Amino acid sequence: MSDVTVERGGHVVIANLSLILDESRIAIVGLNGSGKSTLVRTFNGLISPSGGEVVVHGIDVGKAPKAAARAVGFVFQNPDHQIIFPTVAEDVAFGLRQIGYSKADARGMAVAMLREYGCDDWADRPISELSEGQKHLVCILSVLAMEPEVLVLDEPFSSLDIAVRQNLLSRLKSLRQQIIMINHDLDAFDGFERMIWLKDGTVHADGAPSAVAPLYRLHAMQMAENLAPKNL
Amino acid sequence: MSNDRTLVYVSLYAALIAALGLFPLFHIPFLGGVPITAQTLGVMLAGVMLGPMRGAFAVVLFLFLVAIGAPLLAGGRGGLGVFAGPSAGFLIGWPVGAFVAGALMRGMRRRSVIVSAAISAAIGGIGVVYLFGIPGLVVLADLSFGQAALGSLVYIPGDLIKVALTAVIAESVARGLPGALVSRA
Amino acid sequence: MISAYIPGESWFHRISAGPKLLGLCALTVLLFPVDKPGIAALAFSVALVLFSAVGWEGYRRLMALRPVVYLLVFLLIFHALTGTFVSGLVTVFRLFTMILLATLVTFTTRMEDMLDALNPVLTPLNFIGISSRRIALAIALVIRFTPVLIGLAEELGAAYRARTGKRAGPRLTAPFAVLALRTADHVSEALAARGGADGFEDTAEFDGGLPKK
Repeated sequence: MSDVTVERGGHVVIANLSLILDESRIAIVGLNGSGKSTLVRTFNGLISPSGGEVVVHGIDVGKAPKAAARAVGFVFQNPDHQIIFPTVAEDVAFGLRQIGYSKADARGMAVAMLREYGCDDWADRPISELSEGQKHLVCILSVLAMEPEVLVLDEPFSSLDIAVRQNLLSRLKSLRQQIIMINHDLDAFDGFERMIWLKDGTVHADGAPSAVAPLYRLHAMQMAENLAPKNL
Repeated sequence: MSNDRTLVYVSLYAALIAALGLFPLFHIPFLGGVPITAQTLGVMLAGVMLGPMRGAFAVVLFLFLVAIGAPLLAGGRGGLGVFAGPSAGFLIGWPVGAFVAGALMRGMRRRSVIVSAAISAAIGGIGVVYLFGIPGLVVLADLSFGQAALGSLVYIPGDLIKVALTAVIAESVARGLPGALVSRA
Repeated sequence: MISAYIPGESWFHRISAGPKLLGLCALTVLLFPVDKPGIAALAFSVALVLFSAVGWEGYRRLMALRPVVYLLVFLLIFHALTGTFVSGLVTVFRLFTMILLATLVTFTTRMEDMLDALNPVLTPLNFIGISSRRIALAIALVIRFTPVLIGLAEELGAAYRARTGKRAGPRLTAPFAVLALRTADHVSEALAARGGADGFEDTAEFDGGLPKK
């Protein structure tokens, strides 16, 4: 992406940002309001920049937002916002239907995929009866079913216990897809190659997580002491 | 409003009507054997909040689901049987009521939200719905017009509460989340 | 999917949805002009016998119609008081018959089959931009949203009780509405991220697979 600016409600959220995101595991950190969520939403056209251009795997997002959305799989914070269909197989199959498979094929592939991930008897279970961790897994599977090139995760798993979170993170590790993840918990970035620290819509630090994470942690701790209620 | 957002909003209000049937917001005991449901609150809200077309679509979507067998009407009723019952006229009046409420809300865009929402909900959600419901009773239950109108009176107090709620909700959404008051957007 | 359908193999289950719906419409029209209590009672008994197709479960589930029964009894009393008992009796039998038959069709037909049967009726909606794909998506969203909304309301009610020790009642409806609408916005965003209502099928820009960087 080059020279990207995003304005929302009259003020600049992202300011003249230029980045090349080549690594296969990229972490994005920053305090609340730093522009993380806005940044990743420019990758698939959910938010259009007011200036500059975003190119994802050769696709100009501004010119072909649909193709970009196809290439970028998005996992949101709250699975209840993402899961559209009442049963597991229907939701996974929806992604496949979206990319052109017939109803019957999509159902078959969805069931096969559930089996592959060890969720054999989930196909006809109502989403409302799943645990939070199970819902997150359904979200990931539904997105993976569409075979995106990039997987963007916006603060996933924040409502999960440590065991479930570790299990899901290790499932993510083995994926072939490029992963760009926003998270507040720095422990989740085990094995990541690059960490980008956003502050006020610009890159404050960028490099190996081993270098960036300590700086960010220190900054966050300093901020914590000085926060007045109005800044919380 | 984008197509996707319209689709989601229409579905949300249809689901709201369903949820109001499963999860009563206020409990008024049986009056003359007729349970009073909160579902018409959903109908009023759909019209007032979404505007005429989208509001009517939301109600039609809900009724369509009921017709094909989802037990979403208050008391867990569903299926084609409900459209054969004596109160079918009221159900048919729902989408029309939502449409009229939405159109009035749009027409009164210069007035305050709370006042116009109350007027729209009362005319669309009570007036129009009864305009269909009472003749429905006359035809289906073989009552005289006066009998049908008299029998319907038991619903009126509950409906007035729903009108008040609709107005309060519209006002607080207009303040808290103005973009979601689609009828005015 | 929540549905009133009762699984079974009876002869009535085996009739396909289209003829069942058409038959129901025809019967409704035929029953309407009936004004003799004998004929109405006969029709009612026939409907009751037909109902055996769904077995005990079917009769048991009829209990859900209790509010309608109250209404009909009320109606009968109303007619009796105003001196039109016989016509009231005919009306009640006729309504019961129609409700029974319609319920029977619902109990013996899957929602998917009902939808397929209605497809020809819905096709004209294509012209105003409502494809069958959108209808299916909207139906799924309603069924998915309903428990989500109930969950939201319960959480809000619990939070209120925790802070005040009182039942919340209607005063939580406004915050609930704002919460529900926020949810809808998140869902719209997630739907758009997955290709929106129309999917990726007809994006010409995407022919020939994913371009590599």
